[in-house]
Amino acid sequence: MISLYVGSTSGYSGKSLVSMGLGHKFKKDGFRVGYFKPVGILPIKVDNVLTDNDAWRIYRVLELKDPIVDICPVVLTQELAVKGYLKDVKGLLGKIEKSHQRLSGDKDIMVVGGYGSIYTGGVLGIQGLKVIRRLKAKVVIVVKYEGEYIVDYVLQAKKDLNSKFIGVILNKATPEYKQGIKDYIVPFLKRKGVDIIGIIPYDSIVGSITVEELNDMLGGKVLCCHDRLNNLVEHFLIGAMQVDKAIDYFKRTRNNAVIVGGDRSDIQLSAIESDTECLILTGDLYPSEIIISRAEQKNIPILVVRDDTYSVAKKLERLSVRLRLRDKAKVARGMDLVTENIDFPLLYKKLGIKIGQ
Amino acid sequence: MLDNFFNPKSIAVIGASRTPGKVGYDILKNTIQYGYQGAVYPINPGASEILGVKTYPSILDVPGKIDLAVVVVPSKNVMEVIEQCGAKKIDSAIIITAGFKESGIEGAKLENDLVKKAKEAGVRFIGPNCLGVIDTHSGINASFAAGMPAKGSIGFFSQSGALCLAVLDRALPEDIGFSKFISMGNKADISDTDIMLALSEDDNTKVILGYIEGVNDGRRFMEVASQVSKKKPLIILKSGITSSGAKAASSHTGALAGREAAFDSAFKQSGVIRAHTIGELFNYAIAFANQPLPNGPNVAIVTNSGGPGILAADACDKSDLQLVLLHKETTDELRTFLPPVASFYNPIDIMGDAGAERYEKALYTVLQDEKIQGVMVLLTPTAVVDVEATAKAVVNIANLVDKPILTSFMGKKSVESGSKILMKYNIPNYSYPEEAVSALNAMYRYHVWINRPEKTYPHFDGLKDKVTQIFEEVKEENRERLSESEVHEVLNTYGFRQPKSLIARTSEEAVAASKGIGYPVVMKIISPQIIHKSDIGGVRINLNKKKDVENAFFDITTHVKNIMPTANIYGVMIQEMIPGGKEVIVGITKDAQFGHMIMFGLGGIYVEVLKDISFRITPLSQEDAHEMIRETKTFPLLRGVRGEAETDIEAIEKSLLILSQLALDFPQIIEADINPLLVKKRGEGVVAIDARFTIGGD
Repeated sequence: MISLYVGSTSGYSGKSLVSMGLGHKFKKDGFRVGYFKPVGILPIKVDNVLTDNDAWRIYRVLELKDPIVDICPVVLTQELAVKGYLKDVKGLLGKIEKSHQRLSGDKDIMVVGGYGSIYTGGVLGIQGLKVIRRLKAKVVIVVKYEGEYIVDYVLQAKKDLNSKFIGVILNKATPEYKQGIKDYIVPFLKRKGVDIIGIIPYDSIVGSITVEELNDMLGGKVLCCHDRLNNLVEHFLIGAMQVDKAIDYFKRTRNNAVIVGGDRSDIQLSAIESDTECLILTGDLYPSEIIISRAEQKNIPILVVRDDTYSVAKKLERLSVRLRLRDKAKVARGMDLVTENIDFPLLYKKLGIKIGQ
Repeated sequence: MLDNFFNPKSIAVIGASRTPGKVGYDILKNTIQYGYQGAVYPINPGASEILGVKTYPSILDVPGKIDLAVVVVPSKNVMEVIEQCGAKKIDSAIIITAGFKESGIEGAKLENDLVKKAKEAGVRFIGPNCLGVIDTHSGINASFAAGMPAKGSIGFFSQSGALCLAVLDRALPEDIGFSKFISMGNKADISDTDIMLALSEDDNTKVILGYIEGVNDGRRFMEVASQVSKKKPLIILKSGITSSGAKAASSHTGALAGREAAFDSAFKQSGVIRAHTIGELFNYAIAFANQPLPNGPNVAIVTNSGGPGILAADACDKSDLQLVLLHKETTDELRTFLPPVASFYNPIDIMGDAGAERYEKALYTVLQDEKIQGVMVLLTPTAVVDVEATAKAVVNIANLVDKPILTSFMGKKSVESGSKILMKYNIPNYSYPEEAVSALNAMYRYHVWINRPEKTYPHFDGLKDKVTQIFEEVKEENRERLSESEVHEVLNTYGFRQPKSLIARTSEEAVAASKGIGYPVVMKIISPQIIHKSDIGGVRINLNKKKDVENAFFDITTHVKNIMPTANIYGVMIQEMIPGGKEVIVGITKDAQFGHMIMFGLGGIYVEVLKDISFRITPLSQEDAHEMIRETKTFPLLRGVRGEAETDIEAIEKSLLILSQLALDFPQIIEADINPLLVKKRGEGVVAIDARFTIGGD
């Protein structure tokens, strides 16, 4: 049995998606696969068992049968976090190890999903590095590619992980970085002895969000088209220009949501006519009946939120760091991305396993 | 005050022109052609005589004293002229010249300099960028208006010169008399309030009319308007209340248009009669100028046809006026001479075949009824009606009584001669009955205003010092918002009952807190990033047992973490759950021109849609608090509908008054609201469930 720890140097780099995709491919290649999340940060109760929301999704996607209670032994509830600050919480590392043992007995590969970065978790005595050592796992580091500076973090992680480190996956690489990655980053990392396990391009579907998630996040009220809350939004546009400019602007991007003041009925109509996925009306201002009825005809949900346009935009700007794998279409797309862009022969070689053994 | 503007012994027209069609020519012509008795000095360095009047190169060359300077020179020369005015000891000037604030940045600079210069020179001025001033009683027409209105008792001031012209033009054919006409222009020096005060002291003015786009000092405006409206009806048309209107107004004279709610409150609180259209302005003016005020709301309608009578009755129903039943004696008397098919109840329909005599008798009889405090006479031009004779009949009766009579001789062509007679003898006549109703209603409301007792202003002293430090700390820490505990302390100090509450960091603590407070309880998330807790599912109510509290703690904290991963959660607040009661919102907002306003509205989930809220500007009087609650459409809900118990309305009034005190004590409050304020049954008070305070500035 081999444990592959999917870690990162910062949170929200795409570990869950990679874990899900890896597990899926391992399974397809005939391995007996397990999934384990030592520390969860998205508490959820399944059949009254406390577990982690992401772990629970991956568990289902991979069609696992293990006892849920072991999938994620430590869930960082508000309760536990506060206790950790107030006094030392003991025994968590042991708990993690035991669950891992129970799960891995009948597996060829255990995919272990890290939380936060490999450095977080110290408050509760379960820092990523410590967990990795205890589980004797090999580590692949997933990095959200945001510019050249990330190489320093990769080198530091390699140093800290030592022999456990097997390589890096560069995730969410947007087209503008493509040339730089190819000509500078890859050669550099290779020279420093870092294997590139994969480069996953940015994908707007995976980066999308459903209208329902948006509404939850913004604390809004849905005014119409409740059956369209699963519309996927890939881009956000702000409707603060002249009407004649608005329609061109809205039509330029697909799958957009338009953020606009609740009193700008001119812009709202333009957005509806240009087939936006969703209208986000700000300032707690309700639109006129005409707008609602038109939106209903065109099947476009309208959300009313309390914040002003700027605050909403600010919130959504930080959105990319908190996307979750919830929507089916997104999950399927995400797994394809992983299988297509990861160098599995290299990964198997580094893990020392062969298909069909 | 401002006497030299309206009653000068001599006028200099600086920039007088020889060329017909030029403003400098028209003004000079106007000053001399309407019977002005004083001396007029045209000033023009290039002329020795204009329109037969000796002309001087500069005011300094004029031998005698000059009381009023009318300035028509180009804007770049205005400064020099004002300086000369100072040298010549002229203390009053009307600056007609445009090209100041209304024209852009350069103009605004020039206007600032002008104000400074005029102060140094000891010159008060009207304008710049105005049409001028007319006083019909002293025969002065120092304006470039085309025509001179008839002598009368309406004093009109307007921020818009063009509106002056339109009003003047409309008044001319109908012979509507004015006492004074003042075009205010940019109001750089002499303001609306100066003019309002001057008109209130003017014996020739009975009614003051004004058109404003904005005021510079809201508080001063209210103070003066309250004072003036006690003496004379002050009718104001305020534009720029919509956002497009505001845009037009700001590009017009650079006035900052205040928010609609603020102006509305300001007008209500200072007794200003608000006209919403130019038509209303006129309609009200002719009613107030010509008829006595009604002593109460009870009116009668005398009509020669059913339809218009019903329309008028409907309009009364929507107003404060009441169509009361006549005394039995009156009805009996009417029966003696009206045809049996007539309607003897109010509206009194004297039938289509009524001639002048029947009108006269019916009107006389109705006016004898002491219950009736005002009458509207409606006339439809039927084939048998003698319009002129009927008009004369109405005039005859009107001379006998001291109750207001307004008429609506409907139509245009066939009633025109009658209308002329009515207007000539001071009976305001309207084309449609609704206009008559709205004018009489305005008169009744004004009657209520001038007869209302002095307002009482309750004080809640000695509380300020106890929480000053909180506000200072918030400012020192550069925060805009008071924390939950700070809000709690402020409200507590000012006597607001609040639910018992305890902070809990873990579910164990939450359970202990709930036990301490007593079930059922409410749980709310505490996080500095979360202001509107219920929007994001951060509130659970009606938790009845240990298990509920534990589950709620888990649900709230994980839900928030899920949708706002970057929010810092401190813990939860456990709060006493107050059963029953109705939710209202009370709050403080701050208007740029009028300062703090107190807000009241019905709360609950529909509040955002219904927007049924009322405002008053601070300080709030006991009467204001009383009125603003009753002004909302949903007020009957507080009274209790369908057998519900009445809620504690007095406690809401007190809450509003305390907020007014808070606003007075802490000018730095920009916004505060208690939402919801739970109103319990009468005598059981109110509870502030949740509140927010935002400070800034000052």
